[in-house]
Amino acid sequence: MKVFLLTLASCALVLIVMNAGYYKEWFDGKPRQYWFDFLKEKDDTGDEVAIKKARYGVVYTISMRVKEVVEKKNMPHAVILFEPNSYYRDSLRIYNNVRAPEPAVFYYYTGLEGVWTNSPDVGKANFIVRITKNKGVTLDEIKSPQQLQQILAGFKKYPPIL
Amino acid sequence: MPMLFFLFLLVCYWLSGFGILTLFRIRLKPAYMVTLSLLLGVAVASFVPFVLQLLYITINGPTVLGALVLVALLLNIPSFLRMRRSGFAVLTRPFGGGRFRVKPYELPYWLVLGFLIFVSVWRCYYWPPTSRDALSGPETIAEYTVREQTMVNSFFRLDLWSTNNQFKSPFLISLQVIYKLAGFPFGQVWLCVVFISFTVFLYHVLRERLHPVLAGLLSLLFMMAPEIYAYTFMILYDYSNMVFFCVGLYFLYQGLAGGAFAGAGDRAQAQPVGVGPQETVSFAGLLLGIATYIRSETLVLVVLFLPVIIWAQWRMVGRGGSAVAGGIGSAGAGSMESAGLGDMGSVGMRSVGGGVRVSAGVVLKKMALTGLFFLLPSLVGYYLPVQLYINHYLPVHYDIGTLVNKNLSDWHPLLQRYGDIVSKLLFGSFAIHLWGYLFYITSALFVAELVFVRRFSREACFWLYAIVVVYLALGVMGFALPMFNLTETTKRAIFKIVPLLLFYLANNELVLRLSRWISGWEVGGNKKLAMGAVVGGGVKAVAPKVAPASGKPGPVKAGGKAGGGTGGRGVAGKAGAGGSGGGGKAGTEGSSGGGSRKKNRKK
Repeated sequence: MKVFLLTLASCALVLIVMNAGYYKEWFDGKPRQYWFDFLKEKDDTGDEVAIKKARYGVVYTISMRVKEVVEKKNMPHAVILFEPNSYYRDSLRIYNNVRAPEPAVFYYYTGLEGVWTNSPDVGKANFIVRITKNKGVTLDEIKSPQQLQQILAGFKKYPPIL
Repeated sequence: MPMLFFLFLLVCYWLSGFGILTLFRIRLKPAYMVTLSLLLGVAVASFVPFVLQLLYITINGPTVLGALVLVALLLNIPSFLRMRRSGFAVLTRPFGGGRFRVKPYELPYWLVLGFLIFVSVWRCYYWPPTSRDALSGPETIAEYTVREQTMVNSFFRLDLWSTNNQFKSPFLISLQVIYKLAGFPFGQVWLCVVFISFTVFLYHVLRERLHPVLAGLLSLLFMMAPEIYAYTFMILYDYSNMVFFCVGLYFLYQGLAGGAFAGAGDRAQAQPVGVGPQETVSFAGLLLGIATYIRSETLVLVVLFLPVIIWAQWRMVGRGGSAVAGGIGSAGAGSMESAGLGDMGSVGMRSVGGGVRVSAGVVLKKMALTGLFFLLPSLVGYYLPVQLYINHYLPVHYDIGTLVNKNLSDWHPLLQRYGDIVSKLLFGSFAIHLWGYLFYITSALFVAELVFVRRFSREACFWLYAIVVVYLALGVMGFALPMFNLTETTKRAIFKIVPLLLFYLANNELVLRLSRWISGWEVGGNKKLAMGAVVGGGVKAVAPKVAPASGKPGPVKAGGKAGGGTGGRGVAGKAGAGGSGGGGKAGTEGSSGGGSRKKNRKK
């Protein structure tokens, strides 16, 4: 009988904790939601890339699209220049939806070298990823050092941020 | 196929960890042996690709898996030798004997904990690493290590101005490499091993002191600390660092307390513990060394525990110059049984009957050696990844000197940092989102103990000291290194405090009283029994402070050899043997004290 009462007490304590203040909000929003996710994910037949797309979102999708284009153009030494995130934040105001990946993360996604506008290796850049509200994402070739300097000058007031 | 490799790796971990436990002569209940073996095995594995890199050996499947097997075998040479002498039982004995009884009232907690564990494990397995700190450093390095067979790979040719994560410990890289080689594209599942092992370990530690209803409640509160839970499926350094740091401190306390650990207060599950406190302190040093290897700044914290060791040994030395049986090791054979929990420092020095008087010089030497063995693993754990690897292997270097605060004479930012830690990270709405209500509950019980009880047990003091040390050190680190920011680095470093809160709560007198009351009520009003030896009843061992002079270990029931265990060595061992409390039923009855339960009651 006492064991039974203690078991009831344990159940009560568990329920109290799980319904107390922020614990309830957290439990419903996280572990419980993760459980529902699991019920869907366990039957998912997507491959590694599909899972990464789902996880990393639009940045990963853009990166992989860049990779596809570079591979199509057969450019083994492509170095991709990214526009600064502060440009997306302050000028285009799309920072909440889109952002340029860090060079290290871009390398993880694609195996391609990326640079930011303040990178010491920025002179090696021969492609630039442009994101605009109208055209979406484009990969343009940088044809000359002069063109690169012009591009960099245009971003001077936008320091790279994460 | 990956699952087979996963099981193979688990066996390797278990063997490696068991080998280390054997080397340190650590013998505990099966629950501890298994969880500690796995934790240590993960730690050993995290060195394997790193050491291969240091030796310029190609990192690929055969070399890594071969090295893992080789290490597991090498670490078990002492076990094999003992097995040749004493038979196969040498290997199985540590995992037998301790029956684990589940009470129905534990099940509600287990169900919820099991659910949380399951969800975490699934996410660990299914999703790729996401944290920016992992992707911009260790995860990418690991990915290209697998492709290029070296940890110094094409990643370091990139523009890395925006990150310093390439300089962080190879702990994560190594484990990711192992699991990617084993066929897990996202690695990560090693974190499940750490997570589950620690959860089980923590639950058993709490259960040693508290009634399972309370132990389960504390475990649940810990598991439901949102920020920590998130890091059980998000690979980074801080969760693993917390685990090894807190387990290390747990063993440090056990070593200082004379090794009177597992089994005390747990009649049914008491398992003989045949280890001297000297080895326990060194073992704690090893665990803290692993924590330092994972996060190098842990070295600062480890150093701050040296005074505790010195203080504890000094107390043992006895008052007035001449000393009794050197240092911590002097606890000797009887220490496990005679010391009693919370009797830190009293062991050995009072074993006058069998004690051997030695000179202060010998004692100081012993103290220095204990401190050295405690600190050495942390120094190695700091030197290898930070000094040797970064400066002599990586093509890019990290000058931490340039990151130090240039204006150290202005202390206002330090005070500001301490204030911010309390007001933003420990208390307030943001803190609740990070840790739930754990800090509030602990603070309330601390104040209640301060007001109503007005004294703290030695063990409670130790954990309070540990909490304060981490808090103070985090403030100083944030002050000295501005990149040690508040809302990221310091926040994650606070992980280390959270299990310490539980260790403290498990020694809070009011919680212990409640635990004893529940235990007493459960066993049917036999208060005396409840006070003395109820399973998991929060028994604070009422051990005789002065161990009987008789050095002969008494007959031991299920408690086995603890009464006459190995204890100290050399001079210490001699003294310890004298100080033995004899076994009697001690090991089995959870009183952990030297004599029988009756004796304890009398006391």
